[in-house]
Amino acid sequence: MFSLLYWVWIILGGILIGAGVHFIPVGGAPAAMSQATGVGTGTTMLAAASGLTGLIGAGSAYAATGGDFGYTIVMGGISAALMISILAFIANVMYVYGAGVPLASAKVKYDPISKWRQDLYVSRGTEGHGTPMSSFISGIIGAFLAGVGGALVYFALAASYAGIPGFGATFAGYPAPYYVSLAAAFAIGIFFLNCVMASYNIGGTIEGFHDPKFRRLPKSILASLVVSAVGGLFALLIVVMLPGGI
Amino acid sequence: MVELGALTLVGAAALIAGVAEDLESDVGSQSNPNSQVQLAPQMGYLHRLYNKAISGEPASYPFYAAIGASTALAVLSITGNSSLIGVFFALVAGAFVTSLIHGVYATTSYMGRLASQSRFGQPIYMDVLRTHTPVLMAHGFVANFSVLLLTWVIIAQHFSPFPFVVLAFIWGIALGGVGSAVGDVHLGTDRYYQDRPYGSGVNAAHSGSVVRKAESGLRNSIDCAWFCSKFGGPLTGLGFGLVVYLHFWKEVVVTGWWSVLAGVIIVVIFIIMNTYLERYSRQRYGTYKAEAEE
Amino acid sequence: MAEGERSPRQLLTIGVVGGLIGIYLANYLNSTTGTAWFSFFAGLGAVLAVFWGADAVRRVASYGLGTGVPSIGLLSLGAGQVAVLLGLAVAMNYSIHWAAPIIALILAAIIGLVSGVMARRVIKMNIAIMERSMMEIAMAASLIMLGFSTTIAGGFGFDLIMKYVVASGFIIAVFIVGGMAMLHPFNACLGPDERQKRTLNLALSTGFIAMLVAGIAAGAINGIQAAVPTMIIAIFGWIIYYLRFFADTKQDAAAVLSTGLLPKEEEVA
Repeated sequence: MFSLLYWVWIILGGILIGAGVHFIPVGGAPAAMSQATGVGTGTTMLAAASGLTGLIGAGSAYAATGGDFGYTIVMGGISAALMISILAFIANVMYVYGAGVPLASAKVKYDPISKWRQDLYVSRGTEGHGTPMSSFISGIIGAFLAGVGGALVYFALAASYAGIPGFGATFAGYPAPYYVSLAAAFAIGIFFLNCVMASYNIGGTIEGFHDPKFRRLPKSILASLVVSAVGGLFALLIVVMLPGGI
Repeated sequence: MVELGALTLVGAAALIAGVAEDLESDVGSQSNPNSQVQLAPQMGYLHRLYNKAISGEPASYPFYAAIGASTALAVLSITGNSSLIGVFFALVAGAFVTSLIHGVYATTSYMGRLASQSRFGQPIYMDVLRTHTPVLMAHGFVANFSVLLLTWVIIAQHFSPFPFVVLAFIWGIALGGVGSAVGDVHLGTDRYYQDRPYGSGVNAAHSGSVVRKAESGLRNSIDCAWFCSKFGGPLTGLGFGLVVYLHFWKEVVVTGWWSVLAGVIIVVIFIIMNTYLERYSRQRYGTYKAEAEE
Repeated sequence: MAEGERSPRQLLTIGVVGGLIGIYLANYLNSTTGTAWFSFFAGLGAVLAVFWGADAVRRVASYGLGTGVPSIGLLSLGAGQVAVLLGLAVAMNYSIHWAAPIIALILAAIIGLVSGVMARRVIKMNIAIMERSMMEIAMAASLIMLGFSTTIAGGFGFDLIMKYVVASGFIIAVFIVGGMAMLHPFNACLGPDERQKRTLNLALSTGFIAMLVAGIAAGAINGIQAAVPTMIIAIFGWIIYYLRFFADTKQDAAAVLSTGLLPKEEEVA
């Protein structure tokens, strides 16, 4: 059934996805040459890689508990955080043992969490390398937010579509029920809508919550709010349009 | 116990997928280090490296996985999914069709990017195209087959309710993310700048001046895969294997809210390990400049 | 716009009219004859939409988006996907089956316009054609998704698409394969000497590859009737445009050598 509460969940989820992207330390292409602090992938895709892994966790949790709200969103968040902690740690092993560089950031003199000196450990002509403590923690926070956001969107959509008559069925040999498939596909779509908007706001690289670019966050929240309100409304209107099911 | 066995198979498939994915991207110089190969002719450094820009790895791997999964489903619609060997051949067919499409896309990006740089005089070498494309298709085949296999096991064991294609797509993104975050560093920082001093980042002023001569003759991208297979590839495999294995480990071994707790504990362990790693790197390697210099 | 290029308006017409005609032909020929032999028309329509979308991506991405070409394609596909299914559901609710593709197109334009306004006015990206481009790309994305979905399902009724394309999971394959077909051409031809004709020939070639994948997926649903004509046409189309792209490459490249050492400094003028 259509419920205003679910629309609010989708909007909130979109905002959390957009905010989460700002926390995730992204070095982009320069990170692969140890020229920038952060994980070496584009903003959009790193957020998608962790957030959608969280979506898998949320999907399993929703199916296992029959739609327990708290468990679904927490599992989404923790799965995404787990993914990015492994990813950033293994990348740091690569920097330390493969490239022989210490982990450092050029944007701050002292790391805000570990209080370790940074500027002396930055090699000449670079903006830092690897993912030091603050960026690492920031990434875990960001992935948790993005995962929770994705899970909120998925939860709202799945709970709405599960109420449509006939959507609990499966098609032939394909084991996924209609409502799971549709909610998963739309959750991926709305995830991309928000994380691309956020990555346009960042425009390249960001180190985490201590980066000056982090102050642009309010603009991204407004953009995410509007975009996911429209996208979420469209997705939920399908419920209104199908009173008799299919 | 069956579930743990299946989980081990999933983890092993993920490990192989990660290794093959990273080596494939090294042959093609895809994703992040591609910026250097793209920049080199503009800086006056013509080269014989491959330039495969099928967008970044995290966008191209879900593309391959989705094609492979669709093809596998099409084959299964004819053979039926009752026999294990039938499923196996369907997955092979999926990975095979994917590797053909992968090869076609790879040639278009090599030719397209180099033709768009004609003002710098960068020629298109047809022998580079002929020798490298089959190599990256082969690595891509292994990576895609492993992704399809692990997805199939996950679906067959009811670890996830998502449709086959959707799940393969998401694991493709995760695989591409790990591959470009981990393996590319070995290629970009070390292999492309082997003539620069080891143990520092690449000075931004040197961007684009990639190594173009090999031990004998000119450097090609297959040499890069040989080099990266010693550390970058295996580490990527470890990373993706851990991502997939631990993701389901926390859901299979413990259930309910305990799996959330298990997830939190694993995250905390990684934070602690990262702290030790960071401290080790600072103490072992020391500073680049003395305090007085600033 | 250089000499001999196709104008944005011309491409928009090709994309919208061609895409819609293809989708309608496939749906009504299939439902009239009660077979799936004509599914390939929708694929051809989607290829034309790829042709249009690739040029729209080319125009906006040449400004430099700051985060790679693929992002805008993924955003639009995400928008197009929601718009298509809502459009089909609206048409089903009000029993105006024939209007479904047009409603989907309008909804995609709305969501694309909203994203474009947000990107330009709120995030303040300094790209003058952002709103228009995002709108065009989202509309092209909706036609691509609807076209290939119709190829797979054999028609564009909500129930057909829901059962055959969404529940089977093929929607995500259409999402990424159609998206790559649209965003790969400009990404692959990125550089200072990029030329529209070469990029668009590549767009048709990648479009036909996407049609081939849609044909394979159609085989899982409607069997040989849908798969064989679609795949044969896709392979022939791909060969034609791949060869044209190759010819353009030979014309544009500094040199196409079978093998050889690096050119000497003085040879590079």
